Amino acid sequence: MKKSLDLRGLTCPEPVLRTKKLIDDQSLSRIEILVDSEVNVQNLTRLGNSQKLSVQSQAKGEHFEVVLQRAATIAKDEHAAHSHEADNKQRQPSHMVAGGNQNLSSTGTIILISRNTFGSTSGESDRNSDKVKEDQDFSSNLLNLFLQTLLQSGHEPRAILMVNSGVQLMDPDGPYIKVLTELREKGIEVLACGLCLDYYGLKSKVQIEQVTNMFAICEYLFSADRIISP
Amino acid sequence: MTTNPEKPIGNNQLTNNVKAGGCSAKISSFELKQILAGLPKTKHANLLSGIDNFEDAAVYKLNDELAIIESVDFFPPVVDDPYLYGQIAANNALSDIYAMGGKPIMAQAIFAFPTCDFPLSIAAEILRGGADQVAKAGALLTGGHSIQSSETIYGLAVTGLVKPKEMLTNSGARPNDRIIMTKALGTGVSLLALKAGLLSKAEQSLLFAALTTLNDRALEAARTVDIHACTDVTGFGLVGHMHEIAKASKLAARMLISALRFFPSAQEFAKQGLVPASAYGNRKSFEANVSYIKDLPLEISDLLYDPQTAGGLLLAVAARDSTNLINAMSEVGIEATDIGEFTEGIPGHIDVLIT
Repeated sequence: MKKSLDLRGLTCPEPVLRTKKLIDDQSLSRIEILVDSEVNVQNLTRLGNSQKLSVQSQAKGEHFEVVLQRAATIAKDEHAAHSHEADNKQRQPSHMVAGGNQNLSSTGTIILISRNTFGSTSGESDRNSDKVKEDQDFSSNLLNLFLQTLLQSGHEPRAILMVNSGVQLMDPDGPYIKVLTELREKGIEVLACGLCLDYYGLKSKVQIEQVTNMFAICEYLFSADRIISP
Repeated sequence: MTTNPEKPIGNNQLTNNVKAGGCSAKISSFELKQILAGLPKTKHANLLSGIDNFEDAAVYKLNDELAIIESVDFFPPVVDDPYLYGQIAANNALSDIYAMGGKPIMAQAIFAFPTCDFPLSIAAEILRGGADQVAKAGALLTGGHSIQSSETIYGLAVTGLVKPKEMLTNSGARPNDRIIMTKALGTGVSLLALKAGLLSKAEQSLLFAALTTLNDRALEAARTVDIHACTDVTGFGLVGHMHEIAKASKLAARMLISALRFFPSAQEFAKQGLVPASAYGNRKSFEANVSYIKDLPLEISDLLYDPQTAGGLLLAVAARDSTNLINAMSEVGIEATDIGEFTEGIPGHIDVLIT
């Protein structure tokens, strides 16, 4: 049995309390809830997960719909798969999404590194060169921190692609080679653009199986579920 | 079949129609930075602490021996008992003075009240609770200002004193300093659970005891060692306040999850979705500065961002002083824990580890 609940206009903890009452009614297999803030979506997602329900949510105009279903009923429901996908598309790397999405596998993620820094340093031209060097070092350390964190996080992207000045990370004498090797050992493909390695004078220093070309890079990018460019 | 929103039950309770109570009502750091961006930066030779570094209060040096501390704090009701609400709001306001290493001497009340909706006796009880808390701190309540309003607000403007040499700021932490915290975490989640009617009597009394405990004895005990940096854990949550110290001290921090103390059932409540809106605001403001261990349960990270009302002190001390400090606290009946350390690294970055 299915039930809809309109909880717009209510603030925390009311939506959670009212939804919990319905969850306790075992005869309901599907509960559709309308709320008007993202906080309520997040809190209902936590509630659903704590009760071992499947949770889907999507924006509906200015409001949000949260759908809770008991596990046994999901397989029959092809609509579920559909909104699952919509959910996935809404994911943003900087935004830690509530539990419901955490089980999604991330095998289709590509990390594209197109410079030797995390983001770019600010481009004020009138600053002295010491400061510019300091900014550069900072941004470069940040990129290293990102890779270290990625290694520890347990996320397993399909590949890390390096192009442009990003290929400098492959320098066997540089500070990144250790973490890149460890990522490779976890089964993540680590590949660098051959043209770019050549330009930066690194081609002879990098193992051939880690050198790739623009065609392959293009294929990787178009087949990715998600591309993260630090 | 659709269930329409019903009116909340029991309209005559203080916390009804309050969207967010306590430090949960705080404007997020993210938004606040945008609001404050256009303000002129106040600089003066005697101003030892101003808006910079997100300090807890302003400190103005009168002479080499004495400085005054000014702070103001207020929020909507967090509990239905008016006396308790007054106590908690006053305690929270007084806390900023201790966080700067000072002693409150005088306070003025800030009060907004819907006199048409509630009997005046409720207003009197709120003010009595606040006055009693100020007296407990050994300070004088010397007046205040009140207005009619659709929403109840209570708090204090507090004046304190400190010797300039003994002032405690966010910026003094050193590499390898240990991070010591008093009081348990999770007041935001617990107050929401209270509002939902899910907090047991025993859980309530633990929570209320913490919310009305002054940080005066904790500070006094901490003074037995050399304190490098200090703040109180309030609206920006543990992560936010740890970040502010780390950033101001140009250090990174390591936080040990296994060392944290939470209010009973807080994890369970967070898991069920009783997470205050401003915890999400804190997450948005500070998450970029945090790296997590793999598989950190969501309810734990929610509690790291949970806005604290009248929270404990967060102190940076040399590693050799950590145990002495915890023992000194314990002697005056205060439970303090070593929850991590400051290290060289990206300023303001927090590594969250299990042990």
